[in-house]
Amino acid sequence: MLSINNLRVVYHDVISVLNGISLEVKEGEILVIIGANGAGKTTLLRTIAGMIHFYNGDIIDGDIKMGDVSIKGLDSSDIMKRYSLTYVMEDRPIFEYLTIEENLKAASYSRWDNKVKDDIEMVLDYFPGLKRTFNRRAGYASGGEQQMLAIGMALMTKPRMLLLDEPSLGLAPLITRELFQIIQKLNRSGITVVLVEQNAFAALNIGNRGYVVEMGRVVLDGEGQELLKNEDVREFYLGAGETTRKSFKDAKRYKRRKRWL
Amino acid sequence: MIDFLQAVGDGIFIGLVYALLGLCIVIIFKASETFNFAIGEFLVFGAFLFYVLFFDLGFPIVVAFPVGLAAAAAVGGIIEWFSIRPLLGRSPLSMTMVTLGLAMVMRAVIQFIWGSHSYSFFLELPDITVEKGEFLFISDPIWAGMLSIVTFIVILLFLFRTRWGLAIRAVSEDQAKAMAFGINARFILLIIWAISAACIAVAGIMISNFGALSVTSVSVGLRSIPVVLIGGMDSIIGALVAGIIVGVTESLAGAYIEPLGLVGFKEVAPYFMMLIVLFIRPYGLFGTVRIERV
Ligand SMILES: Nc1ncnc2c1ncn2[C@@H]1O[C@H](COP(=O)(O)OP(=O)(O)OP(=O)(O)O)[C@@H](O)[C@H]1O
Ligand SMILES: [Mg+2]
Repeated sequence: MLSINNLRVVYHDVISVLNGISLEVKEGEILVIIGANGAGKTTLLRTIAGMIHFYNGDIIDGDIKMGDVSIKGLDSSDIMKRYSLTYVMEDRPIFEYLTIEENLKAASYSRWDNKVKDDIEMVLDYFPGLKRTFNRRAGYASGGEQQMLAIGMALMTKPRMLLLDEPSLGLAPLITRELFQIIQKLNRSGITVVLVEQNAFAALNIGNRGYVVEMGRVVLDGEGQELLKNEDVREFYLGAGETTRKSFKDAKRYKRRKRWL
Repeated sequence: MIDFLQAVGDGIFIGLVYALLGLCIVIIFKASETFNFAIGEFLVFGAFLFYVLFFDLGFPIVVAFPVGLAAAAAVGGIIEWFSIRPLLGRSPLSMTMVTLGLAMVMRAVIQFIWGSHSYSFFLELPDITVEKGEFLFISDPIWAGMLSIVTFIVILLFLFRTRWGLAIRAVSEDQAKAMAFGINARFILLIIWAISAACIAVAGIMISNFGALSVTSVSVGLRSIPVVLIGGMDSIIGALVAGIIVGVTESLAGAYIEPLGLVGFKEVAPYFMMLIVLFIRPYGLFGTVRIERV
C-alpha cells in the first residue's frame, strides 16, 4: 500500500535525520516501528504525512509511494484527501481551548458533509469516556481522555491509514491496554495502522510486523512475535535480555555494527 | 460632571472603532503570532478603495460599501499570498518584520496612486445626533461606533458559530495540529488576513468620515498598539475593553489635560495608560500568561 524507498530527510539543510530508510506498509496490517529516542520515527511520520516542510525539513533523496504513485512533496491536506491518510502527532494533538465536541468537529473540516453528527456518535461508541466531558474544554480532560480524543479526531477524517505517534506516551498501563485494544478494533474494521511506540512489548504484541529504526535507518524487521523473541530487541527495547547485561562499551560497539546493516 | 460624562461618551464611540482595529490585530496575532504593522496602510488603502467606488464611480452606498470591503478583503488575501505565506512555519518574528516592509511598500503604492493630498470624505449618513439637556453627541462618531460594534459582533459570530470560524480557532491554537487533521492552515491564514483587511477598511471608512482621507491617516493605525497591549495580544474581549479604555483616555485627556497647556497630550495619553497597565499586568488585562520554553 505505502512504500518508502531509500528516504533521506534533513532539517535546516544540515541536520540529517533519515539516512536512507526503506520500509513498506501492507494493506490491512498493524505495522509497529520501534527505536530509541531521536532515531527519527517522528520525522518519518511527518514526512509521510506531508508535513515535513512545516518543520523546515526537506526530502533530499528517495521516494514515498502510495501504490505506484509518488506522494513525495504533496501537501498534508492533499495527502489526506486523496489517500485518506491521517497522522496523529505525538503528545496528544488536541486543541486544548476547544471543547471535546468542537475538537471532533474541527477534525471533520476536510470533509465538509452532513454526516458529521453520525460520525461523532460513532467516535463516542469507540470512546464512551468522552461523553462525560463532551462540552468541556479538552485541556481539562485527563491524559487518557486526550489521547482517546486525538484518535477520535483522526477517525473523524475517515482514514484508511492511520499513523500513530507514541499514543501510549504518559498513560497508565491499564489505559494503555484499553487503547491498544481499541487500535486493534479499528484495524479489524479495515484501517491500516502504522504504530510508532516506545512501549515495544505491548505494541509488538498487537502488531503484525515491526521495524526497528536506528539513526534514521531500518536495522531490523520481522513479524511481531518474531521480533519479540529476538534477543537484541529484548535487550535494547524490552529491557529483558536473557544473557547477563553486556557492558556499555559492548553495547556501543554493537550498535555501531548494527547501523551498517 | 456633565463635561466628564460628555467626554466619556465621546470616548466610547471612538473607542469602539479602536476596538475594531484591535480585533484586526488580535485575530492575526492569535493565528500566527504576527503583529501586523501595516495596519495603518491597510486602513487607508481600504478607505481609498471605498472612495473610488462611492465618490469616483458614484455607486450607491449599499453597493459601494460591500464591494469596497470585498475588494479590501481580496487585497488582504493577495498580500498574504505574496508576503506572509512563504514564511509559514518560520519564526513569527520574521513575519512581523515583513509587515514592516509591507507598510512601506503599501504607503508608496498609495502615494503613487492617490498622491499625498487630502480627499474630502463625507458619507451623508442620516443625522442621528443626540442632543439631550446639556449633552451633545454628534452623528458621525455615533455611526462610527455603531458600525464598528456591529462589525465586531459579526466577526465574533463568524468565529464562534460557523465551521470556518472553528477551523480558524483550531489553526490559531496550533497550526501543525490543525494541518495534521486536514485543516488547510495556509488557506485559513489567507482567510484571516482577508477578514482582517475588510474590518480595517470598515474602521478606515468610518474614521475618514470624520473629516478627510489622505495618506497621513496611516498614523491612526498606531492606535491599535496601545489597544492590543492593554487588552492582551491574544484576547478578543481584551480588544473590546481596551479599545474603549483608549478612546475614553484620549477623550478625557483632550478635555482636561490639553487645556492646561499640554497641546497634543491627547495623542500620547493612551501610551501612558498602556505603560501603567503593562506595569501591573505585563500580558495585558486579558492576555494569556504564557510560559515560553526555549
Ligand atoms: N524541526 C526540527 N529541526 C531540527 N531538528 C529536528 C527537528 N525535529 C527533530 N529534530 C531532530 O531530529 C532527530 C530525530 O527526531 P525525531 O523526533 O524524529 O525522533 P524520534 O525517533 O521521534 O524520537 P522520540 O522517540 O524521542 O520521539 C532528533 O535528533 C531531533 O533533535
Ligand atoms: Mg517522536
